[in-house]
Amino acid sequence: MDPRQRPVLHRRLGAMRAMAWGLVALLVLVYAWLQLVRHGEYQQIALNQAVKVRPLAAPRGLVLDRNGHRLVDNRRALHLVIQREDLPTKPEVVAALAEALGLDPLALARKVQSYRQAGKGRPLVLQENLDESGIALAERVRARFPFLGVEVAPRRVYLGDELAGHAMGYVGEVDEELMKARPGAFHLGEIIGKEGFEAAGNDRLKGIDGQKRILVDQLGTEVANFGQIDAAPGRSLYLTLDAGLQKVAQEAMGEEAGAVVVLDLRDGGVLALYSSPSYDPNLFLNRLSQDMVDRYLANSRTKPMLNRATQGVYAPGSTFKLLVGLAALEKGVVTPQTQVYCAGRKNFYGRDFRCDKPTGHGSLSMVQAIAQSCDVYFYELASRMDVDDIHATAEKYGLTERTGIDLPQEKRTRIPSRAWKKKAVPRDPKWYAGETISVGIGQGAVGVTPIGLARFYALLATRGKLITPHLFLGLRDDETSQLIPAPAPPVRDTPLDPAIWAVLDEGLYEVVRGGTAAASALKEITMVGKTGTAQVATFVDRAHYARQAKALKDHALFAGYAPREKPQIAFAVVVENAGFGASSAAPIAKKLVQYWFLDRPVRPLPPPRGKLVDPFAPPPEAPE
Amino acid sequence: MKERFRALDPRLLWVVLALIGLGTLTLFSAGRNTPQSGIWLKQSLWNLMGLGIMAALAGADPRRFFRKGFPAYLVGLLALLAVLVVGRRIGGSTRWFVVLGQTFQPSELMKWVTLLYVSQRLGSRPPDQVTRLDLLGAVGLVVFPMLLIQRQPDLGMALSFLPILLLIPLMKGVRARWIAALVVFVLLGGAAAWNFALKPYQKQRVMIFLDPSSDLQGKGYQVNQSRIAIGSGGLIGKGFTSGSQTQLNFLPVKTTDFAFSVWAEERGFFGVLIALALFGLLLDRILAAARAALSATEAYFCAGAAGIFALHLLVNVGMVAGALPNKGMVLPFFSAGGSSTLSFFLALGIIMGIQHRARLK
Repeated sequence: MDPRQRPVLHRRLGAMRAMAWGLVALLVLVYAWLQLVRHGEYQQIALNQAVKVRPLAAPRGLVLDRNGHRLVDNRRALHLVIQREDLPTKPEVVAALAEALGLDPLALARKVQSYRQAGKGRPLVLQENLDESGIALAERVRARFPFLGVEVAPRRVYLGDELAGHAMGYVGEVDEELMKARPGAFHLGEIIGKEGFEAAGNDRLKGIDGQKRILVDQLGTEVANFGQIDAAPGRSLYLTLDAGLQKVAQEAMGEEAGAVVVLDLRDGGVLALYSSPSYDPNLFLNRLSQDMVDRYLANSRTKPMLNRATQGVYAPGSTFKLLVGLAALEKGVVTPQTQVYCAGRKNFYGRDFRCDKPTGHGSLSMVQAIAQSCDVYFYELASRMDVDDIHATAEKYGLTERTGIDLPQEKRTRIPSRAWKKKAVPRDPKWYAGETISVGIGQGAVGVTPIGLARFYALLATRGKLITPHLFLGLRDDETSQLIPAPAPPVRDTPLDPAIWAVLDEGLYEVVRGGTAAASALKEITMVGKTGTAQVATFVDRAHYARQAKALKDHALFAGYAPREKPQIAFAVVVENAGFGASSAAPIAKKLVQYWFLDRPVRPLPPPRGKLVDPFAPPPEAPE
Repeated sequence: MKERFRALDPRLLWVVLALIGLGTLTLFSAGRNTPQSGIWLKQSLWNLMGLGIMAALAGADPRRFFRKGFPAYLVGLLALLAVLVVGRRIGGSTRWFVVLGQTFQPSELMKWVTLLYVSQRLGSRPPDQVTRLDLLGAVGLVVFPMLLIQRQPDLGMALSFLPILLLIPLMKGVRARWIAALVVFVLLGGAAAWNFALKPYQKQRVMIFLDPSSDLQGKGYQVNQSRIAIGSGGLIGKGFTSGSQTQLNFLPVKTTDFAFSVWAEERGFFGVLIALALFGLLLDRILAAARAALSATEAYFCAGAAGIFALHLLVNVGMVAGALPNKGMVLPFFSAGGSSTLSFFLALGIIMGIQHRARLK
């Protein structure tokens, strides 16, 4: 090397050496910043992404009928979820996810937002009850959206499909309105009963969610469990329903719209409660299809979501005559022996009121009037009383209040009064005497629910005991599966005069023995009851009426109890637009009584419709 | 044989052995419970082969290699051209030959061949006789293989050729107006690139570099997880094979690009200090060899090698900490890989040979 070059080169190499150590010093500073100054922050992040608290969904209690048949079962199901900590923050990621899964992007974005604000708890469920193709889709989508997870959780299966749709109701995720209405009562994403007994018995059926602290790897797979609090399952319970009787009610109603209620006179237990058309609660379990189902069902003219047994308000027609007769006898405007002449029609306040039999019934006492369902007799009774007298009697015997059945949103039976009209019809608040005449035969403003009507006939059957219809029979002992009976709701005594009762009971007996429902009499059991035919529209010309569309036909009713000697059950049957009560409602009641007293023990519950997907089922064994 | 070992510079050898030790521990931990659990053994084989090559070269006269600089450079260029035609395409770029089931990356070796040839050209004459045209030619010799490598594409590798250009200021000194010109060029070029040349995804990459947490699910994910690993390691680390980021796979590509994060997480700031001190000593020893070198050519080679090692250190260790953009440059002795390991040992062998020759005199 050129001797002059060496010192220069050495100087420059010295500079490089300084730069090399400078570089090392710079990197030391960078790492000191990350590892010493910001250590706590990064340690927290590392901990948060590796240690997760996962909720363990508590299974809801089972629901059994009074004989221990399962009405609702739990199966394991897979849900596609996003855990709370993993919720995506970027709008475009949410939008892409919605597109990949075929969801409404706006709804999903709103949901993600509310879950993020709510803190810890159940994961956001994107798709429920994944089947084989759903699992395959979930795996594909997970490749693009690593924050998705698959959760194992119990799901409801309603056995018998439509058998007890309205009585059972269904479950679903708690909605925003309910959370706003009862702050603190529910957690976001909680599964609660939405309708029917699932809603009414929610507090008993729901369990307490557990949780576990786990170590997860980058894919969200559980690597270690640091400990968990097990979920406490909800209590299983028995209902008063009898699945066999319920099945009879379902089959008897067939395609007709209407309702059937059967009450156990011992304690007020509901043996059957069927609203037709029914619905299959299993349809409501898939959260994301619910909007669609709701819309479809809400628009349907047959209103399958309406529980006609507790929410349908029908003109009671002639079944109401028992209350009018009771009011008249108590008030003393007639005696049981008082004869009223029926000429087929009668003029009150300048208007002709017709009887069902145009040729007239002739002279009748009360028992005969009930048996023949003579309208003129009860017009006459009504004309001798004020509407407030009828209302007061209805109130005295509990017909104006809700029955108190343990189902949500029960409608109140409507018995008109002067005060009621002032409130309900402010345009025309005055009560006209002619309106009282219509009330006398259960028309006009009178409206009863089938459950209310059944309760009134239960009152007649028990000679004045006012029972509280209920579905809850008792809890199940989880070890022995035995029923722990719950005390029945209170029974109230009413001052029903035995002499008056005997007249009414005699009248009901005559109805089936030789009156309007004679065709529905049973040889072995004395069933008693009253037919009713409630007009939907009024027509002058009967022939014209007969040609009208089915929607304008009368509602048929039948209410009563059996057996007469020592009543055990009371019932009410309503068949919409079916014509005369004697020909369509009474035969249904006959089938119920026939089954309950003659054809039991119970036929087995039908198996659930369709194949249930159990992703944990062992694979079919390969042939050797 | 004894002669061979005497040729090894003991102080440089201890540093290299220590770094190999740290790297092997790191790969053992990074590969645990993954399909790559044997990678530390495989890398140890490469290291042993590398040590053998280093020992062999250290005992040889380095002037023999410099004399072969030109043909080696030509062969290297041909290899770079060939790899574009018949190379194996992996992950969107064509960088590898496949020989006997092993992948071989010619660009790793070409880096050192280029340094060898450029050192020889510039060092063969006194500095005052080197013309501007010669300097321009040297720049061309460096830039041409860079362009071929960028065709693969492999920007990180291409950039690792740049330290060879350090030889020019080393020989000619640094003038203020060069620095000024460089600053102006970088600013104007950067502005022009941002406005006209860069594609949206490239701009996005720059944005992510400036704020890695802005895209946690996408490109910034890797660097962000690496920062979490390093930061959560703290002063003393989480312990060997106990880093949650590493063992639970939150840390990506942990046996190559992000191997240093594994070390930083499990051994903490103390471990980082030890590793960086060893790298500092490595650079120090290489520059000491440059100082001792008998000829300008040999001094240039050592200085250029120090530059290349320093750039790898800066870019990799800086990148995993999120302080520099993710350019995919490996860290010597930590990142697993055959071609790069053998190439680094080859350079170290020549450096030791240079020092040995100087010591003999």
